Amino acid sequence: MSIYITGVGVISAIGLNTEENYQSLKDQKTGIEPLQFFPSEKEILAGEVKLSNQELIQQHNLTAPISRTSILGLIAAKEAWKGNEHNSQIRTGIISGTSVGGMDNTEIYYEQRLNEQNPDISLITTHDSGNTTERIAAELGISGYINTISTACSSGANAIMLGARLMQQNKLDRVLVGASDSFSNFTEKGFRSLMIYSDEWVKPFDDNRNGLNLGEGGGFILLENKKSLDITNNKPLASLVGWSNTTDAYHQTASSPDGKGATLAVEGALKKANLNPSDISYINAHGTGTPNNDLSESTAFINIFKDKVPPFSSTKAYTGHTLAASGAIEAVYAVLALQNNVIFPNLNYSIPINETKLVPETQWNDRNEVNAVLSNSLGFGGNSSSVIFKKV
Amino acid sequence: MENLKATLKEQIIERLNLEDISVSDINDDTALFGEGLGLDSIDALELIVLMENDYGIELANPEEGKEIFSTINSMADYISKNKK
Amino acid sequence: MYINACSTISHQNSFRNENWINELTVLEEGSELITPNYKEFIAPSAIRRMSKIIRMGLTCSKDCVEQSGIENPDAIIVGTGLGCLSDTEKFLNNSLTIKGLIPPTSFIQSTHNTIAGQISLALKNHNYNITHTQNSLSFEHSLIDAILCLNEEDSNVLVGAADEDIPLLGELINELGFKGVSNHLTSGASFFMLSNNKTANSKAILVDSYTVGLNSSDPSEIINAFLTQNNRSLNDIDLVLSNSFGSIGATEIKALFSPIKVTPIEQYTGYHLTNAAFSTHLATDILHQNATTKSVLIYNTLYNNNIGLTLLDSLEA
Repeated sequence: MSIYITGVGVISAIGLNTEENYQSLKDQKTGIEPLQFFPSEKEILAGEVKLSNQELIQQHNLTAPISRTSILGLIAAKEAWKGNEHNSQIRTGIISGTSVGGMDNTEIYYEQRLNEQNPDISLITTHDSGNTTERIAAELGISGYINTISTACSSGANAIMLGARLMQQNKLDRVLVGASDSFSNFTEKGFRSLMIYSDEWVKPFDDNRNGLNLGEGGGFILLENKKSLDITNNKPLASLVGWSNTTDAYHQTASSPDGKGATLAVEGALKKANLNPSDISYINAHGTGTPNNDLSESTAFINIFKDKVPPFSSTKAYTGHTLAASGAIEAVYAVLALQNNVIFPNLNYSIPINETKLVPETQWNDRNEVNAVLSNSLGFGGNSSSVIFKKV
Repeated sequence: MENLKATLKEQIIERLNLEDISVSDINDDTALFGEGLGLDSIDALELIVLMENDYGIELANPEEGKEIFSTINSMADYISKNKK
Repeated sequence: MYINACSTISHQNSFRNENWINELTVLEEGSELITPNYKEFIAPSAIRRMSKIIRMGLTCSKDCVEQSGIENPDAIIVGTGLGCLSDTEKFLNNSLTIKGLIPPTSFIQSTHNTIAGQISLALKNHNYNITHTQNSLSFEHSLIDAILCLNEEDSNVLVGAADEDIPLLGELINELGFKGVSNHLTSGASFFMLSNNKTANSKAILVDSYTVGLNSSDPSEIINAFLTQNNRSLNDIDLVLSNSFGSIGATEIKALFSPIKVTPIEQYTGYHLTNAAFSTHLATDILHQNATTKSVLIYNTLYNNNIGLTLLDSLEA
């Protein structure tokens, strides 16, 4: 059964919608800058969405309290959903991923409480991750199958995969899948405590990479089956053909040196898609820019593709690492790559990783036909996910 | 120096929640990682926090920790030379 | 699909106790979690960092592995309403109060998928590994995923749920105006080995599970549609295990299913967001041990607008 993508939506440090994101990728313009809106004592480089909560709430007529994670997810979901209507013949669901849900509000509340500053208890009602998704569902009038996935940095990819599986087993006809995460003190301090937050611009796949920059954002794609398409008459932008989730089972936060989890995930997704490694035109890598991730992921590429690794790049140097949202934002980028026959350049790269010698794509490349895109997401707990998108 | 070593053992047991281990189980030359006490890379990060917060010693790169944290002897030695 | 192992840690004497369903007591205010000796199940090097929710989840998982003899399940699926609260609060507090470097352990252990991740590490399992977190429906979503897996290529799926209570949660619940509830907040975990294969260990049959989030329809329509989908009617159900918040809705729930016997389970579980997992273990053992009960329906409306339905049959049904 074919699974069609008929809508995409994205908000990130490089744009408030899909068009703006595409233009920034084309201009090779990073969204990673010192934080402007999030209060911080020292200068922190991060991929912040360039509008305040107040501005976003006003622009989209939302009611507070709402977490920034919900707001960002909602904006991306609305863009992906745009123009669609509810129809009792089309069983419609929503699956979103998030790593910390409404932590942005929770940490404001918790600090008020610690300082005995008349804490605003309503802020805590947006904490749970399920609430993040319910706010998005309510705004779009979706009821029924509403679910949230939380597998840290692979959540977005896993939400996409679950949507596809529900459709393949005829539980749903149409499902909005994606993820969002906002920047928070909690996650910033967390990655600092692991000593993998870089105070320089992130350098994915470079031998001198020294850690990640966090980002924030949301990404959603609308999946439909044939039955739904016959009713909506939507034009497919691409199709979702392969997916796999596996576990590294090596360490709680680090990836294995042999890239086992990622290797299994890519293998599984290729098998599901019934594709050979040589069919992949472009890999949008997880590529966080930490010494550990990029080495492990590169090793997985060599395990699968041997000496014929397809053109690959990480877009984390544009958006920062948006955690749960990354797999969903990069799914939108994968669709853009297929639609425009383009491979996005990897910023801030100069020297190949010594152990693997792999060289990422560093120029805007629209010379070749892009037929199939592999997107990787690797998270805490060894959680490894790969999804494959193809031209329709 | 002996006092520092004893304190370090107590701090390691407390910070790393080594419930079943007592100070007398750790010799000054027991390997803290791998065979020996069996600490891992998460413990290494906890020890970096301990060095900074309790002894004012900053280790910017976790790789530096490998040698410094090999035994109580090496930790105490490094601390006494670098303590601020 | 067959339920070939169940394991529950709760405020009842449920862990490795065949007779627990006959020993259920109505929980009093301030009741406590009844814990096994975790060290029998978890390596010392790992347990020292683990909070209550991880200990519960991992221990129940290992128990299911031992009971079923399935050491390498094809999928590991965990539901949690609020995740690893204890480590989340610890790191939140540290992140706001410590100026210098912050200890990383509580951050590492704070993510919702720590439980599933630790299970994979303990079992050295490289397969599908997922965490669902949809408040009161987190467990049902896990079951639905497990059913998908078993309808794909998988033969054995480890699925379960866990939630933990921390003191701050009770304070917040009070401040939010749910007076009296905070003394009934609980922790708990229940895990299951689901299989396509009937074995000597099989206890009951999981027929189906279904959720409706943000519901605005008449619940009876949803219940009937679910039963019809599974070729049943209400007449085929011998027992309903219900789950609601406070006393709100208890009368309505009884009326909804009348004349079928309805047992509210919150009196035995207290409140945590995945206590429907406890109901599933309870239903399994009732179906296994009580020959006159052939079909049990679990009706979860812990959150008013979120409906969870799970249908189980006895092996003989």
